[in-house]
Amino acid sequence: MNNDTLYLRRRITNALALGLSTFATLIGLAFLAWILWETLRQGVSAINLNLFTKITAYGEDGGLLNAMVGSLVINFIGIGIATPIGVLAGTWLAEYANRTKLGETIRFLNDILLSAPSIVLGMFVYTIVVLPSKTLTDGSTTYSGLAGGIALALIALPVIVRTTDEMLRLVPSTLREAALSLGVPQWKLTMQVLMRSARSGIITGILLALARISGETAPLLFTAFGNLYTTVNPMDKMASLPQVIYEYANQAGDSIHALAWAGAFIITMFVLILSLLARLILSRNKVSHD
Amino acid sequence: MTESAAAGIHPQATAASAPIAPTKIQVRDLHFYYNGFHALKGINMDIPEKKVTAIIGPSGCGKSTLLRIFNRIYAIYPKLEAKGEIILDEENILDTRYSMNKLRSKVGMVFQKPVPFPMTIFENVAYGIRHHERLSRADMDIRVEQALRSAALWDEVKDKLKQNALGLSGGQQQRLCIARGIALKPEVLLLDEPTSALDPIATSRIEQLVEELKSEYTIVIVTHNMQQAARCSDLTAFMYLGELIEFDRTEQIFTKPSKKQTEDYITGRFG
Repeated sequence: MNNDTLYLRRRITNALALGLSTFATLIGLAFLAWILWETLRQGVSAINLNLFTKITAYGEDGGLLNAMVGSLVINFIGIGIATPIGVLAGTWLAEYANRTKLGETIRFLNDILLSAPSIVLGMFVYTIVVLPSKTLTDGSTTYSGLAGGIALALIALPVIVRTTDEMLRLVPSTLREAALSLGVPQWKLTMQVLMRSARSGIITGILLALARISGETAPLLFTAFGNLYTTVNPMDKMASLPQVIYEYANQAGDSIHALAWAGAFIITMFVLILSLLARLILSRNKVSHD
Repeated sequence: MTESAAAGIHPQATAASAPIAPTKIQVRDLHFYYNGFHALKGINMDIPEKKVTAIIGPSGCGKSTLLRIFNRIYAIYPKLEAKGEIILDEENILDTRYSMNKLRSKVGMVFQKPVPFPMTIFENVAYGIRHHERLSRADMDIRVEQALRSAALWDEVKDKLKQNALGLSGGQQQRLCIARGIALKPEVLLLDEPTSALDPIATSRIEQLVEELKSEYTIVIVTHNMQQAARCSDLTAFMYLGELIEFDRTEQIFTKPSKKQTEDYITGRFG
């Protein structure tokens, strides 16, 4: 075949592939921009000082202070529970159970938990935390921020397990061999060498898990329930942004809707910032081993 | 088993040569299995003390496998099995009762790719020492300096000991790994293709270093580079398909090999 036609064909194929992938990327970006723009446009009338200083008890004249505080507390509890368990479990999978049957089974089960519908996890926590606490406290504690945090922890857990596992398995085996050949025991190797290598990846995983749970609504409805007032006591019923958005969206009234949009805007920005932060950490600490 | 195999291949027993040095490591009828695959088939060899022994052979001949048995690093992976004996200073290191700590402090290893730990240059060297000895700060400083000097790296890094080791060049990283190994004052140093990821200048520095280190350490180096074996070793072992074909003084191997296969390999007819 003539070389010129061959090269021309390749150039066309190349341009086509590049064009299509650029187009696909633009579609993704366009939706993100659209979501941000729409939430901002619809919520702009509610974005003012009241949003951050007043509580939902005032209804359309109020703000989202209690929901923001509640979201922070619940997310903090969720990540606080999921991080140590998730990092340890991921470490076990990568370093102690890699290539064993038990390890493979647990990795598989973790992936199932990863895709479990969040409402199921909410109902599960309702059954094992909310109902027993009702009985134990004679009805004074039922729904609580703690229960909400536990529900979110179950969602964050498999994300953290998986990223820890993957990040540790990305550390080249020669690094393990080098440390072990110095006589360093496995636990020291894991804690002092491998964790250091995988640290930025693991932190990124935790941030992404936080981003994931900060938008969850369904599991909070049965667990944290909601509260018109600000509270930081994890034993109280607690408001959260997604739950308030859900309720406000179902009510009538333009200013109530604007508040819901403003809440949506805040969550979207929060998730966006977390994701950017995660990217930043990952690119800053990128350590090349090849 | 043939008589010569039972007795082991002794380089010093070759008619033309006088004894080279006392034996440091005796390998006796060593077999190795990767998940059932017979990778080493009855290796017998005596590695002399404070000499450089090179192991050459085509890819997959088992040379790295053999090296990785000398400090039992293979044992961290499942389904690998070594049978036979490796006698280091009159004790069989393959005996499960042999202390891993003792083995790893007596036998140091440097790998194909430089793998510094994600820590400072100082910590890279001090890390291994800390596990075996409790030293005062001042003593540790001295030990780290000694190790870096022996690895011919001190002058290049003395002003940046607190910097991350990953910022060093590949050749410097590899010398750091050597420093890390010799900081434990081992008796044997295993080098697994230590220059294959390095440029020619860094390579010649490492070779020079090997030359200097052999006055203190028994060195075993695996290399796919025959010129390297010829340049820096006293003895050379040629392996092929899991068997030790020939083991003799380096000049003997490269000038008058006694086996046809060795000659074919070093003259580039296969491999």
